[in-house]
Amino acid sequence: MSEQRREAVLRVEDLSIVYRTKRGDVKATSQVSFDLHPGEALALIGESGSGKTTISLALIRKLPKNAVITSGHIRYQREDSVQDVLKLSNRQLREFRWKDCAMVFQGAQNAFNPVLKVRRQFEDTAQSHGWTDKAAIRERALKLLELVRLDPERVYDAYPHELSGGMKQRTLLALGVLLNPQIVILDEPTTALDILTQRAIIDVLNDMQRQLRFSIIFISHDLSLAAEMADTVATVYAGEIVEIGPVNDIFYRSLHPYTYGLLTSVPTLEHLQDHLQSIPGSPPNLINPPAGCKFHPRCGFATDACKKEDPPLEHDIGTHLAACWHKDRLLESRKEPV
Amino acid sequence: MTDFELLDAGHGALEGLHSATSKLVPAPVENFYKNYYVRVFAQAILTIWAVLTVTFFLVRQMPGNPIDVLIEQILTQEGISYQEAYDRVAASFNFDPDATMFDQYVDYVGDLLRLDLGTSITSPGTKILDEIARFLPWTIFAVGSGFLISFVLGIVLGMMMAYYRDSVLDHTLSLVSSFFTGVPNYIWGLLIIIGPGISWKWFDVGAARGTYDPGLTPGLNAAFIGSAIEHALLPIITYVLATLGSWMLSMKSSTTGVLNDDYVNVAEARGLKDRRIITAYVGRNAMLPLFAQLSISIGFVLGSGVVIEEIFVYWGFGHYLFQAITVRDYTSVQGAVLILSSTFVFSNLFADLTYGLLDPRVRISGEK
Repeated sequence: MSEQRREAVLRVEDLSIVYRTKRGDVKATSQVSFDLHPGEALALIGESGSGKTTISLALIRKLPKNAVITSGHIRYQREDSVQDVLKLSNRQLREFRWKDCAMVFQGAQNAFNPVLKVRRQFEDTAQSHGWTDKAAIRERALKLLELVRLDPERVYDAYPHELSGGMKQRTLLALGVLLNPQIVILDEPTTALDILTQRAIIDVLNDMQRQLRFSIIFISHDLSLAAEMADTVATVYAGEIVEIGPVNDIFYRSLHPYTYGLLTSVPTLEHLQDHLQSIPGSPPNLINPPAGCKFHPRCGFATDACKKEDPPLEHDIGTHLAACWHKDRLLESRKEPV
Repeated sequence: MTDFELLDAGHGALEGLHSATSKLVPAPVENFYKNYYVRVFAQAILTIWAVLTVTFFLVRQMPGNPIDVLIEQILTQEGISYQEAYDRVAASFNFDPDATMFDQYVDYVGDLLRLDLGTSITSPGTKILDEIARFLPWTIFAVGSGFLISFVLGIVLGMMMAYYRDSVLDHTLSLVSSFFTGVPNYIWGLLIIIGPGISWKWFDVGAARGTYDPGLTPGLNAAFIGSAIEHALLPIITYVLATLGSWMLSMKSSTTGVLNDDYVNVAEARGLKDRRIITAYVGRNAMLPLFAQLSISIGFVLGSGVVIEEIFVYWGFGHYLFQAITVRDYTSVQGAVLILSSTFVFSNLFADLTYGLLDPRVRISGEK
């Protein structure tokens, strides 16, 4: 474990974020910690509003103005030095963004400036980070556009409105890795795309990661995408990571009732549709979250202990951690893996 | 004849039929009109023709008649017979006052097609084109500078309001710009004369009249240029005050919208330099709706010059039009209105044609 700690490219420690609103403080993220290793793909899964996007925005300090980071560190390792992203100066932060950590946003449809050619936007990005040779930028961009399976020459000289939705998404992926970042954050990379385009994007991502060796943090509520892409999966509920572990452990031996609930709410090839279960209730109000375990009002396993005390995120075996008092009961209740 | 040849023949006949029905208009003419530039230019000409026709008949419906006034003048001054006076007046105009209105109209349009705007009625022998060439540059100078200053200032201040929205700066500027927009330009003109001019005596109201100090030779000498700027200053300030507020408010709302657009957010995440984001990502997109507004307001400001130039006794195009209307100089009014409407129509046309340069999304099809 200590070995892994040292080599993590990104270490998030005890990160808490609140949104100041008129009705009170929304505790969007509470004491989130995780490590990201070189070449690793980490999936953050959870319902809408669970705080996945807040976590990822905090990593590049792109939170909305009313957000306040109340505690935590985001330690980023570049070569031999470790920096806290939360302590970077404006200038350092600008350089950190995209060059070290690129973020491919949800909804690439409007990610490009409509009045500039794709070429100009690649050049803007590279020039802002110290590149001067336009021919070199072009060469790298064309290579990446080819990697995402587009017609490089045509796309490079096109305006954004001349590209389809899937093409824009892939162009944004190419732009994301233009500066060879160590970390690429993907926020719902396939949402709003048709199923064939989704497939293509996933293939492209797998390809690119194999060739360019960056680490990925991706945010999704699409569990099949997580299963396919991720090495590590973290389940986010009410602003907390309630379970984190290797992808197979999470899917076949989930230790948190919420993760298990998510898994059983997805149709599979093996099970009939009436096997599907939804999680009762809705995510808690994060202005006044429930005491104890925040999932207890919706949990079938909840006992008095759950109402009183918030379970810690603990080891089960190896690197699989879960925050639940009733891991054993959950495992017993499952007759077969999902 | 083989089956294939029969089929070919059949095809030929069908094609012939098809082209006969679909091409009632000869193909070259139809294709010519389908060309975007030809079409919008034709529409512009049509609009100008409509305006000049309406003007032609409307000015003649105004009470008072310059010809009778002139005949009367000659009669009383020289004591000749009515017929003699009438002949002299008729000879000095290039249209026949006795001709029917329709014949006059045909003459007028005919002359126009030869780019001849005719001569003034009240000062016989003065070519209207020369008069316009004498007065118009002053107005273009004053209105143009006022417009440019106001537009640039409005864009900068509007963007600042959007960037610092809900700050003291934003609230102050919002209040100021609403006030500026609310007060009509002629009131601004009067306020400037009454306040700084008469009450506080910051400048000499009498000396500010005209377009340059008497005794100076127009040309590229410092004294003349300085004097020209001095005389244009009050109209320019008025145009700026009257139009600045609306530019600021438009730019603010447009910038606020753009700031919420994904691509600005992404540009920040891309680590672009602030200056590049402000100019090429926010500014350029926020200015798109204002550009369309620009061409329309050029026409309005030029038209409002009639009153402003009269207030400051600035001898420009508006002053010329106002004088022509006062003495019922039909031909001069027609000439001036023609110039005014052409400016309006062509600045719109110019905006239409150049909008695509700013916004690639509306580039017309076929232009690759």
